[in-house]
Amino acid sequence: MEIEFISKDALAKEGNALEYILSSIEDGKIVVLEQPLDSESEKTLISKTMDKIDSKFSGIEISTLRKSKGIKETIFEMLGERRGLTVIGPAKLVKEIKQNPEKINWKTK
Amino acid sequence: MGLFDGFLTWFGGLFKKKKDFNLGIYGSPNVGKSTLANKICKDFSGEILSKVSEVPHETREVLKKEKLTLQVDGKLLTLNLLDMPGIATKVDYHDFLQFGIAKGKAQKRASEATKGIIEAVKWMDTVDAAILVMDSTEDPYTQVNLTIIGNFEARNIPVIVAANKIDMKNSNPAKIKEAFPQFEVIGISALTGQNVNALYDMIGKKVS
Repeated sequence: MEIEFISKDALAKEGNALEYILSSIEDGKIVVLEQPLDSESEKTLISKTMDKIDSKFSGIEISTLRKSKGIKETIFEMLGERRGLTVIGPAKLVKEIKQNPEKINWKTK
Repeated sequence: MGLFDGFLTWFGGLFKKKKDFNLGIYGSPNVGKSTLANKICKDFSGEILSKVSEVPHETREVLKKEKLTLQVDGKLLTLNLLDMPGIATKVDYHDFLQFGIAKGKAQKRASEATKGIIEAVKWMDTVDAAILVMDSTEDPYTQVNLTIIGNFEARNIPVIVAANKIDMKNSNPAKIKEAFPQFEVIGISALTGQNVNALYDMIGKKVS
């Protein structure tokens, strides 16, 4: 199994970050992003994933950890800073996911 | 604005078509969205809207009951009720084979399901309010629920969380309340009708 950790700076350099993430996942990698995706990007990622599903690619699993919303976090978000992380991987690789606001646990096949 | 212009604006407004109010029923596959849509439609129009099945992704296109009038809390609310395909991040045709569906039909169902999910996601930008249905026998803290909530919160869209299947022995609506404390969570059974009146009251409060 290959895990790719991507810093927010590296992701920002990608012309189309979601396409880049999806192509890594189609290659069988689990991708860990340094920051949580925003809700709009999550939604777009779901749509893009659906467009790619065929008999070989069945989709993705995704888990996001976000700092709970408080005054401090709202200010960070207003400054364009989202704190947390995102894990995305091929659905076929993932057996079980357990997550809560503080922890993500993935079991692979 | 002159008096005459003001009169024209007021007069024009009398004939202006009022924007329809769209209430979307969202959630993961198999949480009981279509059962709830049918219960609401049956209670207020005597008809049902959707086909229900234990096979996931039975609803593969947005089903709409237009101009449904709900009598709640002494008020009449007219809205369009939309039963959305279940939102998921994966669709595997192999999952349908377990239900005795032939390979070709399973692949077709999977292809239609992906299109339905895209449609449901698109509607997230358009609905005016949402009922997010969760299965109260399952862990509610899923990424699909978080994504749906995050998008509606970003648009300031009112969301009511329906903790469905409270008729089941292992139902735990308290877990949903604990996971999403910022929302009104109503425990219901769309199948038996248990506590749906509380949901209707909440729709009355949120929609009016």
